Amino acid sequence: MDASGENLSLKRIKVLIAKLGLDTHWRGAITVAHILKNAGMDVLYLGNSMPEDIIEAVIDEDPQVVGLSSLGGAHLSLGEKVLELAKTHNLHNTKVYVIGGVIPPDDEQKLLKIGYDLVFGANATEQEIINGIKNKLSEKGLLTI
Amino acid sequence: MQKHENHENKSLEALKDSIIQKGVSKVLEERLAAGGLKRQKLFSEEALKEIKQKYEEWMNILDEKTRQSFSRPFYTILGSKERLPRSLIYTPLDVSELDYLNDIGFSGHPPFTRGIHPNMYRGKQITIRPIVGFGTPEDTNKRIRFLLSHGATGINIVFDLPTIQEYDSTHPYAKGQVGLCGVAIDTIEDMKLLFENVQLDTLSVSLTTHYPSNTMILTAMFLVAAEEMGYEWRDLRGTVQNDPVMEAVVRTSPESLPPTAIFKIHVDNMEFLRLNVPKWNFVTYNGYNLREAGVDEITEIAVAFSNALEASLEMMRRGYQPDEFLDRMAFFWGIGNDFFLEIARMRAARRIWYKLARYILGSSSSRSWWCRFHVQTSGISLTRVEPLNNIARSTLHALAGILGHAQSLHVSCYDEAYSVPTEAAHLISLRIQQIIQEETGITEVVDPLAGSFYVEWLTNRAEEEILKEIDLIWRMGGLTKAIEMGWLHRKIAEFSYTDYKQIQEKIIKIVGVNYYESEKEDHQIDVFRYPENAEERQRIKLEKIRSERDNELVADKIEKIKEAAKDGKNLFPYVVEAVRERATEGELFEAFKQVYGLWTPLVRI
Repeated sequence: MDASGENLSLKRIKVLIAKLGLDTHWRGAITVAHILKNAGMDVLYLGNSMPEDIIEAVIDEDPQVVGLSSLGGAHLSLGEKVLELAKTHNLHNTKVYVIGGVIPPDDEQKLLKIGYDLVFGANATEQEIINGIKNKLSEKGLLTI
Repeated sequence: MQKHENHENKSLEALKDSIIQKGVSKVLEERLAAGGLKRQKLFSEEALKEIKQKYEEWMNILDEKTRQSFSRPFYTILGSKERLPRSLIYTPLDVSELDYLNDIGFSGHPPFTRGIHPNMYRGKQITIRPIVGFGTPEDTNKRIRFLLSHGATGINIVFDLPTIQEYDSTHPYAKGQVGLCGVAIDTIEDMKLLFENVQLDTLSVSLTTHYPSNTMILTAMFLVAAEEMGYEWRDLRGTVQNDPVMEAVVRTSPESLPPTAIFKIHVDNMEFLRLNVPKWNFVTYNGYNLREAGVDEITEIAVAFSNALEASLEMMRRGYQPDEFLDRMAFFWGIGNDFFLEIARMRAARRIWYKLARYILGSSSSRSWWCRFHVQTSGISLTRVEPLNNIARSTLHALAGILGHAQSLHVSCYDEAYSVPTEAAHLISLRIQQIIQEETGITEVVDPLAGSFYVEWLTNRAEEEILKEIDLIWRMGGLTKAIEMGWLHRKIAEFSYTDYKQIQEKIIKIVGVNYYESEKEDHQIDVFRYPENAEERQRIKLEKIRSERDNELVADKIEKIKEAAKDGKNLFPYVVEAVRERATEGELFEAFKQVYGLWTPLVRI
């Protein structure tokens, strides 16, 4: 994909990526980090973090996108906590929250209901991820062209 | 086993230096030549000449289009990286140097290409060793007994993330993750519940501990639990992983110990278990998880062997003879999609390990020369789309594992991309192995692909590539150094991304996903639901233990671990004493952290 063309507007977008909790499967997180970086975004990889640390980093770094990776089954328990904290700190509407990993279909709906903007499974394509983020950024008025 | 205090450490240092400077392959070559190894070619010069002539004649009569397919690049397979392009056809010309006795030989004899036992699966069937672990020990115990009653012949315990990462179920980091991905173990009491009504002196138990540090803690708990259940340590059979690469590279965690500390604990485990639990396999170099994280089939083996070499040299520096510990080293490979390469590299692995164990490390007993391994079929190649297709994929992987003559096998379940397996999915995995074993005759003949020009060529090529990569690792000073420099982290990050890109670009084909794309949006299957309240149930048990044990005694035992660490002593016996008094896993990890400090791996985007 040509990052300089259609994704020009993504250049000023800052993304924070974290492994949710103690999950050790870092392959997906690092791959998505690469994808977003190649699409022109400014990517910060936080590594394994608990919800409190993630929100703390969101406050410090002020990204437009928060991406969480969970393949260990904690997507609901810890995933919900992240958004709760985001709401407490009034960080919910000013950022796009994305979660991906091994997530059963029913839980996908639950996560969207909790307030995640996007949920991705193992077979999500590069296009889906980038376009998904882009659309959500624009819906939330975070994309400046 | 006696510890040899006066081992020649100088010559060991010299050996290490020469490996680093010349590369393992060069040292091996020199030592083989010094041993006066004579090679006898299987194919005569005349025969080869005639085959070459006929081959060219055959090529010349082919039309242009047919000939083009000879040079078509070998298509890229998930998990492989085009290191070994293939021709259309293989002939004796591709294996012209083949020496039957030196390169292939007989099963159970050097170089063990054909398997480690003379009668292979006729003598000992493959161990059916399913992975199991979820919820509390009580929950997992039920599934263990289900699997054993349906024909499993071994058990592979996986632990939940807090247990693997060494936090108690009550730790803030454990919140929401207790009993997910594996079983929760906090104290020796949990270990006893896990194996309630399981016969520990006849069953071979694999504890998928991954890291050296949790291997020390969890194995100590297992040993003391077994002891309290009435078993003797000398009767226990089983395996742990105890792999430094798992802890320093494959793991990501909020808190990691430094690579040198991990390596020290790794060798402590080997030493203690060797001396005290004679039937225990104290290390399983885990290529599987590394490969799943993102390296190819060559790096997988090269890293594991470099790891094993480094640990062996350290054991020798501590005064042990190679024959005193090599017989209990084991390996663990992932089996992916490149069917023939998978088989070939398992054959190559046995041949290489034999040479390394004999000619580099200088062992003399044939058991020390065995490259024994467990295999698990690939998880990353299983799809979420049309999940039942995964049964076909796993069956092919399992077949490769059996043709490669693995000692034990776990077939990944078809619902891998959804969750922990359901009981039904688990049963299918067992059945796949039983069908191959009992219905097809595949296991009746030893190494049935030996002598195939293609498979022998591929075995040779795999051997060359693995040795080349081992040399590369040693040129960096060995694996621990290479890890500290970030080499392996970088490799994984690049590999995973390339794999992903190639899937997107359809260079790597995945049926139903990017080829013959599934029309169905919804792939409803039964998905496993974790048992309820595992966290709460663990918390109640743990709080009870904490209130009933002698807390001063526990604190004292933990203090002794820290003192021993400062004195550079083997920590295992001190950990045994602490778990006996009901010290928790988290408390022991805390002690390690206090002594060794924390390390941040070099993960760069």
